[in-house]
Amino acid sequence: MKKALAIILACVMVLGLTACGNAADTDGKGEVSVFYYTYGDTYISSVRSAMDKLLDNAGLKHQNYDANGNQTTQTEQVSTALTKGTSLLIVNVVDTGSNDAAQNIVDQAKAKNVPVIFFNRSVDESVVSSYDKCVFVGTDYEMAGHMQGQMVGEYLVKNFATLDLNGDGKISYVMFKGQEGNMEAIARTQYGVEDADKVLAAAGKEKLSFYDASNKNKYLVDQNGQWSSAAATDYMSTILAQYSEANNNMVELVIANNDEMALGAVSALQTAGYNKDGAKVIPVFGVDATDAAKDAISKGSMIGTIKQDADGMATVITTVTQNFLNKKATFDGVNAADVVGTWRVNIPYATYTGK
Amino acid sequence: MSAATVKKQNRFSAWMSDFKAKSGIDKRRAVSDLLFNNAMYIIIAAAIIYIAVRVPAFLSVSSIVNIVSLTAAKLPIALGIGGAIVLTGTDISAGRCVGLTACIAASLLQMTGYINKIFPNIPVMPLWAVLLLVIAVGAAIGFVNGFFVAKFKLHPFIVTLSTQLIVFGLVLMYLMLGGNNGQTLSGLDASYTDFVRGTLFTIGGVAVPKYVLYAVILTAIMWVIWNKTKFGKNMFAVGSNEEAANVSGVNVFWTIVMVFVLAGAMYGITGFIEGARIASCSANTGLNYESDAIAACVIGGVSFVGGTGKISGIVIGVFLLQIIFVGLNFLSVDANMLYVIKGLIILVACAIDMRKYLARK
Repeated sequence: MKKALAIILACVMVLGLTACGNAADTDGKGEVSVFYYTYGDTYISSVRSAMDKLLDNAGLKHQNYDANGNQTTQTEQVSTALTKGTSLLIVNVVDTGSNDAAQNIVDQAKAKNVPVIFFNRSVDESVVSSYDKCVFVGTDYEMAGHMQGQMVGEYLVKNFATLDLNGDGKISYVMFKGQEGNMEAIARTQYGVEDADKVLAAAGKEKLSFYDASNKNKYLVDQNGQWSSAAATDYMSTILAQYSEANNNMVELVIANNDEMALGAVSALQTAGYNKDGAKVIPVFGVDATDAAKDAISKGSMIGTIKQDADGMATVITTVTQNFLNKKATFDGVNAADVVGTWRVNIPYATYTGK
Repeated sequence: MSAATVKKQNRFSAWMSDFKAKSGIDKRRAVSDLLFNNAMYIIIAAAIIYIAVRVPAFLSVSSIVNIVSLTAAKLPIALGIGGAIVLTGTDISAGRCVGLTACIAASLLQMTGYINKIFPNIPVMPLWAVLLLVIAVGAAIGFVNGFFVAKFKLHPFIVTLSTQLIVFGLVLMYLMLGGNNGQTLSGLDASYTDFVRGTLFTIGGVAVPKYVLYAVILTAIMWVIWNKTKFGKNMFAVGSNEEAANVSGVNVFWTIVMVFVLAGAMYGITGFIEGARIASCSANTGLNYESDAIAACVIGGVSFVGGTGKISGIVIGVFLLQIIFVGLNFLSVDANMLYVIKGLIILVACAIDMRKYLARK
């Protein structure tokens, strides 16, 4: 009985391995390796499915790796791919706080003369420029924050009287930060407010004021660093327990680093009776333009978001990959206006308010 | 006067007469024992008083409703994990299990006509069917956990570490189904969101969400299972001494399997509630939920020594963690301190718990 069970288990294991056998019919030589910082990220998932399609269409064999948010895992995956004989690395680096991780990957690739394309998560110019076969395809990460701030500011100026619920001439806001130590999160948290303030100042209005005067950070951060909607829901419901229209100190604006946190805040607001059919709407802004956020915007429970172009990013990465492999000029076929110097391509952002 | 208060008074007066009969040193020991044995209640009371003095709004109706709601949201998963801890085990697949069931529930209850519906061809399913389905999915994962623990005598940490990884893989694959492409699941049908976060009743103008009621029901069910059923007694017997339980005729294998199945069912319910509560489910949903749930159980006196633990303790543990979360927000304390304070409380709670155990020995 026990032996039979053991044999069955072993068989299942072998079956499982053969089922994943598309790795087995290649020796890994000449394939393109794509490293994602985590499969858990909604936006990265849309880049991934676009990339899979484009690379397949281009007839390029490729292998995807999931670092699951861990730089050590990713560095090991890169070493493995290089030993396997990969022809090109496409890297969505995990650690953006320092240059060491990216530099390490560049050095390993340089030793084997394999080109590297970094994408999405920012890598410093000095790292990219240290190797002639290295480029960065991303977005000007500060841009999303600037555009969000601009959008928030313009919306506030247009609707100031209705939004200033307690009529004190100031809009009190809450900012949800996705993660500590992440360049994108830091820039969005800073510029989302600063740029809105500039627009307000130009229109002769008071600056935004954080809802909790004694919080010196002026943001609330997802403790797990996952930019998650659950964190925003818990924070928002806690805020609403203390700050309300009845107390004349209601939060009048919600800015979030990404759409998931924005939607989490919307959920808490809806539980408290706001942002649904016919009810008062507290404006909520996000970044990413996920389908869920677009849907919320169309229903009026969210006001605006910043669109990151996943397909555009995947297209540029595939083009540059082919250029490298066919020994053409690196940026051949890429819109020249998006190319910065010789080291990076910026995929433009766009505001999305559903109009 | 109800029976319960009579009992309480008797216990109190018994303790007092006992105390009076004691000599000096014994008296001091009796007092310190009393303080240690109720340390968690004392800490909670001190925390509440401190926060309320600094920020009086902490004790406003809306704040209390918020704390109760947060507690209700985090309670079912802790009730499930508690059983595994009573068996001297643990379950680290819980969070991912909640994530999977939340995604399944959300995907089946997206409103018709939503652009990115994961299954565009099936209409919104009836709530009860989806609830039963996610309970079944959770229970199935629990069965796998329990089976490998009971059959192969593997440590639950290893088994649930494996299922944690497997379940996360399943979540990622599930989110790639249809035209979804790993997108956040949203656009939930109103019947679903109303069922979970609709208003149960309003108190002082503050809406109490319906999931508070579900948490109360689940707590009651779990209390009955733990205290009034043969299965519950067997669970404690196996937890305190597996050999002895086996000798005295307890079916150890099925007891272990059923504890994990029950836990899995609770994760399924948590997933169902969480799906509508946060209203946007992604692969990150449920991440690390087990660490808070385990912490809550341990704080509430469900001991890793095995065979001890009370449902009321789990409720207290979850409640205390939420008080800390909300309290530190009210006090505008740097979020980084939350980690430190949580860590200290777990450490102190465990130390006190072991002290009781060592003293008994």
